[in-house]
Amino acid sequence: MSEEKGFAAWLDSRMPTLKREWNRHMAEYYAPKNFNFWYYFGVLAMVVLVIQLVTGVWLLMSYQGSAEQAFASVEYIMRDVELGWIIRYAHSTGASAFFIVVYMHMFRGLMYGSYKPPRELVWIFGMTIYVALMAEAFLGYVLPWGQMSYWGAQVIISLFGAIPVVGEDLVQWIRGDYLISGITLNRFMSLHVVAIPIILLALVVMHIIALHDVGSNNPDGVSIKKYKDAKGNPIDGIPFFPYFVIHDLVPIVVFLFVFCSILFFMPEMGGFFLEYANFEIANNLKTPEHIAPVWYFTPFYSMLRAVPDKLGGFIVMAAAIAILFVLPWLDRSPVRSIRYKGMFSRVAILMLAAVFIILGYLGVKAPTAARTVLTQICTVLYFSYFIGIYFWTRIESTKLEPDRISMDGGIGAWKTIGAILAVATMVILPIKAVGSEGKSCGTINCDPFEAQLNNDASLQRGAQLAVNYCMGCHSFKYSRWERVADDLNIPHQMMLDNMVFSGQKIGELMDIAMPSDRAKEWFGATPPDLTLVARSRSSEWVYTYLRHFYADPSRPLGVNNKVYKDVGMPHALLDLQGLPECVRGSSLATNGGVKRDLLTGEDVLDNPCGGYEINKAGSLSPEEYDAAIFDLVNFLTYIAEPMAEQRKHIGKMVLLFLLLLMVPVILLNREYWKGIH
Amino acid sequence: MSGDVVNESRRKFLLGATSVIGGAGVVGAAVPFVASWQPSAKAKAAGAPIKVNISKLEVGARMVVEWRGKPVYIVRRTPESLAAINAIDSDILRDVDSEEASQPGYVKGSARTLAGKEEYLILVGLCTHLGCAPLYRPDVGAADLGGDSWLGGFFCPCHGSKFDLSGRVFAGVPAPTNLEVPPHSYESDSVLIIGIDTEVA
Ligand code: FES
Repeated sequence: MSEEKGFAAWLDSRMPTLKREWNRHMAEYYAPKNFNFWYYFGVLAMVVLVIQLVTGVWLLMSYQGSAEQAFASVEYIMRDVELGWIIRYAHSTGASAFFIVVYMHMFRGLMYGSYKPPRELVWIFGMTIYVALMAEAFLGYVLPWGQMSYWGAQVIISLFGAIPVVGEDLVQWIRGDYLISGITLNRFMSLHVVAIPIILLALVVMHIIALHDVGSNNPDGVSIKKYKDAKGNPIDGIPFFPYFVIHDLVPIVVFLFVFCSILFFMPEMGGFFLEYANFEIANNLKTPEHIAPVWYFTPFYSMLRAVPDKLGGFIVMAAAIAILFVLPWLDRSPVRSIRYKGMFSRVAILMLAAVFIILGYLGVKAPTAARTVLTQICTVLYFSYFIGIYFWTRIESTKLEPDRISMDGGIGAWKTIGAILAVATMVILPIKAVGSEGKSCGTINCDPFEAQLNNDASLQRGAQLAVNYCMGCHSFKYSRWERVADDLNIPHQMMLDNMVFSGQKIGELMDIAMPSDRAKEWFGATPPDLTLVARSRSSEWVYTYLRHFYADPSRPLGVNNKVYKDVGMPHALLDLQGLPECVRGSSLATNGGVKRDLLTGEDVLDNPCGGYEINKAGSLSPEEYDAAIFDLVNFLTYIAEPMAEQRKHIGKMVLLFLLLLMVPVILLNREYWKGIH
Repeated sequence: MSGDVVNESRRKFLLGATSVIGGAGVVGAAVPFVASWQPSAKAKAAGAPIKVNISKLEVGARMVVEWRGKPVYIVRRTPESLAAINAIDSDILRDVDSEEASQPGYVKGSARTLAGKEEYLILVGLCTHLGCAPLYRPDVGAADLGGDSWLGGFFCPCHGSKFDLSGRVFAGVPAPTNLEVPPHSYESDSVLIIGIDTEVA
């Protein structure tokens, strides 16, 4: 352009590609004006990609990819690296966010027929991105080297053993060892950090080029290329820059708000984003009680479990992903968008959504007979969608596609809510039907526990108890004395005099002198490190556990525990509590309540150990003992995530800021789009 | 597009507001990434203050201790050296009064020590030029260091910088400033702590 001057002209005359590509993909890329909510997820996927790349680069600065150091180095990032926990939580939250966004993006494609000609390549590149992303996520999940990392890797790698003839050799080749070891970890790190990201980036570029070559689809599924203005631009399109860039700022800020809410207020997301068992270091001799992959794999994991045959399960799982690739050739409908497809298509796509969610839900749950049946039904339904679409798209009558896109098309707010409700019902009813949960704390229900992380006095008493009673055998080796002193307002000198073991400096890790191989001889197992026990087990669990030791002469140490049956640990707080002995008491009915006599309404005393009595009293009264246990567990809760309070505090400020940012962003969007109809 | 007039000034204002607030957000988001490059708790623990027993240090001798991975020189100066420091021809030094030197505020005078502790010189043993460790050369009149004018001091072998027995740099050598005095304090007459400042009332 002629009015260009100065630097822009200088640049353009030397490197015209820049401007040409900018125009091709941004300033002169005409996107349909009628994009709706579902079209936000593509740009959001880009946002998450950037978050993952940047945080990933930074994590690698402190992460150590060896079996000996990996777990500790993640805790090092969480505790010792200044604000390192934000970077780590951003990366772990980002992993899940990536899949949420990508699943929505894919569902959009299913609804509006974005895979249909001429966009088959766009779809196939997209599907390849999805597969690469699954590989990336799986590899990344191994790196923290927790129990879930280890056993998840074990299960997934073993899958390849189902392949006939070469399977077992292949598994060993992937591991590079006879078990999953530091060697496996090293190669996975290399793939996760270097190889797959390069592939992903290349695929993203291909995906976008392929899209921009044929032009974007839209909710109506009709082309905007038919009607053009005098300059040859589609009248129903609008340049991506600035209009859609500004338009997309709104969902980006909303997304960041949700993202930060999770990052700062529930980074574990109830065990879905960070699984609790992964706060325990990998142990190749002990599988966690319940092992499930992270949620984004569970739909396919369910299908694997649905088939009672190793090879069959593997094939079904692989086919479930593979069939998506050929979707463009399975859907033979004359129209693209669900808006103009027939009734059958509409019901089927809602069913597919529901089935996918149910499969995902069942995949995180331990299998029961009823659940397995439901999984099998859902697996069949999943495949019938893709096979059936080949037939019904030819038979069903479709509505007439409009000549041009419509700005007010779609089913409207009420019907959208209806559709969501329909999916929700289809999800919840079958799940309810097969529901059944065990007790939350071993053989009993957990005692309620609410931590008080601002109660310094309680935390200080708890720290004292932990040092005196736990640290004889257990270490807290991911935490430093100094951090505890500073967080709990204990003066350094006092900490050194009363808690820190002689010979240790205040800046050191809270390790103990007992060598772990000797400990193994004494106790049969090395007493686990307790830094993270309140995260891997939950505070309620630890609280309940410490309150339910009882005399059991049949056990080698004379005590047993209701939460952790046949535990190898002595009752360390015996001299405080005294020794509880069992008395008859009520038991819990299958519905979780106390069993009552139907006639008298009194509790049925059919449990030989339904209560305790203390004959040999300890130095504390029962109330004092409970208070002491509270302090101790309060401390364990603190030390499992010492930055918890800071996290929430920073979180509030971040969310307030995002609300502020939302104001000009919304006004700006409105200003640019007010004239566009 | 319809006939709605484009309100340019409103667009400009909103673009500006979004950019400013968004820019602040980017800066805020950068904080953890910048902060995470600071020394971590592990590095700080390794760089914690150290205690040194100086009672065994003989007059005229030097000991080297490690603090934060750097050599720290502790020199017990002889009365003659202390006299020489005061008497040194101020023209051969670049910064006699240590005005540009990196040293704590409680370190005073040509001896560059705490008041009353003039005997013990405490220096970070890294040349202010490019970081070599200077040699301790207390030998007065050393022929290779200028003969009679050499009253004892430090000589950096890398590019030939010279310092007197207070670590003050000579004029006309590559090193720009006097050797650094680390934060330090005395727990007792014989125990020196490097890394903790002396509290000045
Ligand atoms: S480093 Fe000492 S003179 Fe250059």
